[in-house]
Amino acid sequence: MIRQKKFLSVIQHLLLIIMCIIAIFPLYWMINSSFKNDSEIFTASFIPLKPTIANYVYAFSSMPIIRMMFNSFSIAILMTALQLITSLLAGYALVRWKFRGRSFIYTVFSLSWLIPFQAIMIPNYVLINKLGLNEQILGVVLPFAVSTFAILSLYQNFKAFPVALVEAARLDGESDFGILLRVILPNIKSTVASLGILLFINGWNEYLWPTLVTRQLQDEPIQIGLKSFVNSDTNMWGSLMAATTISCLPILIIYLVLQKQVVNSFVRFGIK
Amino acid sequence: MSKSLENNYPLSVSNETPVFRKRTSKKVKIIKTLKPYFYLLPAILLLGIWIYKPLVSTFILAFESWGMVPGTTPEPVGLENFVRLFNNKDFLTSILNTIFYTVGLFPFSIIIPLLLAVVTHGMMGKIKTVYRVIFFIPMILAPVTVSAIWRWLFQPSTGLINIALIKMGLIHKNISFFSDPHFAKWVILFVTGWGLIGFSTIMFSAALTSVNQDYYEAASLDGSGKFKQFFDITLPLLSPTIFFMITMSILFSSQFTFAYIDILTSGGPFGSSTNIYYEMYKDGFSDLNVGLSSAAAALFFCVFAIIALVLNYVSRKFAFYDN
Repeated sequence: MIRQKKFLSVIQHLLLIIMCIIAIFPLYWMINSSFKNDSEIFTASFIPLKPTIANYVYAFSSMPIIRMMFNSFSIAILMTALQLITSLLAGYALVRWKFRGRSFIYTVFSLSWLIPFQAIMIPNYVLINKLGLNEQILGVVLPFAVSTFAILSLYQNFKAFPVALVEAARLDGESDFGILLRVILPNIKSTVASLGILLFINGWNEYLWPTLVTRQLQDEPIQIGLKSFVNSDTNMWGSLMAATTISCLPILIIYLVLQKQVVNSFVRFGIK
Repeated sequence: MSKSLENNYPLSVSNETPVFRKRTSKKVKIIKTLKPYFYLLPAILLLGIWIYKPLVSTFILAFESWGMVPGTTPEPVGLENFVRLFNNKDFLTSILNTIFYTVGLFPFSIIIPLLLAVVTHGMMGKIKTVYRVIFFIPMILAPVTVSAIWRWLFQPSTGLINIALIKMGLIHKNISFFSDPHFAKWVILFVTGWGLIGFSTIMFSAALTSVNQDYYEAASLDGSGKFKQFFDITLPLLSPTIFFMITMSILFSSQFTFAYIDILTSGGPFGSSTNIYYEMYKDGFSDLNVGLSSAAAALFFCVFAIIALVLNYVSRKFAFYDN
């Protein structure tokens, strides 16, 4: 019986380890390939025998990588900031006061996830062009300046906030905005931070909209720039893997440093 | 609930001196009444401009003909776009593919993650976290990053997968995964699924953490085995989460596959790997046929909304809630 149990546990771990390999081997192969030289890249060696940084040099010289990374950062940070601000205000109002149309507004917020971006991309594209915002960071960010997912997540958090603290602050003469800023916000810092991480990753990885709005290499976020590199019919696999490694480095670093918070924030907030 | 922030404040609080009361209180009252709307204004405005208004526009454009050329205006054409949509062979293929992807993703979004969550749930301490953190990595990577890596692994002449398959003697000739109509679809499915496993695993793990352990102890005392416990306790208690994940999987599978189709195969070869959203994208931005694209968008928005409603109903009726 005990022996059978041990056997079962070994099998379990074996299967889990196989799953882990499937999950991270492609990343390993990406990094491995990025350090291989031109002749070695086409062999299946698991460690670069003569490691080289030539691929990285080539990637940097053939694409405005630094500019693209800057675009990506600006887009992701601006998007996250705007989404947090709009959702903090909206979530606060929904919980704090009772007013006409409150449940209607709540319904409007919660139904918006049924609308796929592909169903609204053409009118949005037309509007951005009309505003002259294509090829601009603002044009990429603006349609994503509000996230109903963030509003609803914060709504749940505000609802659980102890009312005594708010009451005390109000008697101290704190304004309504001051209560949000100085009483509630410091207490839900960690929630807002996990939500922020999630929104940042989403902003960084955004695909369809930036492809439509940015057409010139120097205006593109790194992901979209990488796409034209992927689709060019060259056999520069080494430098492509180098560029790919650079493109996911910030996200990987955030993940490795904050893995627990990242996983927890996905658990806490679910899917976007 | 009574101790929450919600609804505890009357909107008008006036403790001004009686002399000024008449005038100020009216002003104060208006400001107080409008206050919530000020806070909601940015969100509502942005949502209206970028989500709801465009949705209405799409529904209108579905009955018009337009080539997105600046200076021209859309012309009403009645139901013509819908007639053309249903006579379009690519569109029918894309519906079949969409069903293929939706069904094909279930193992990646439900079955494998459920098993992984249950197996890791029983483990102790750190090792559990280590497994979960590793499973989760594919989820945080951008579609372009994932596509670039798999494009290299599946590369037709010197990619690792072809090299490995030939060495193992499973195939004799290299497979061109992306340009062979038999494989393109499966590669897209696999790559999308690869990214999904970790996310679903985490969702199921989170649900398992909140399951009351007493049930298992009682079942163990009754002498029921691990498999019986899984079917008698775990599955029913997880049913709300399972329904939720099934809904997600059905509604979002076309969005999940979209980026990979665009980057890896562009819907080809011969439209064999396309899906409905990719067809809309091509109709709109390659063929500049806004009417056709909008007709498809309007139609599928309704189809998915109905599916969501039905699933919501089914889930309420059949899922087991442990209160």
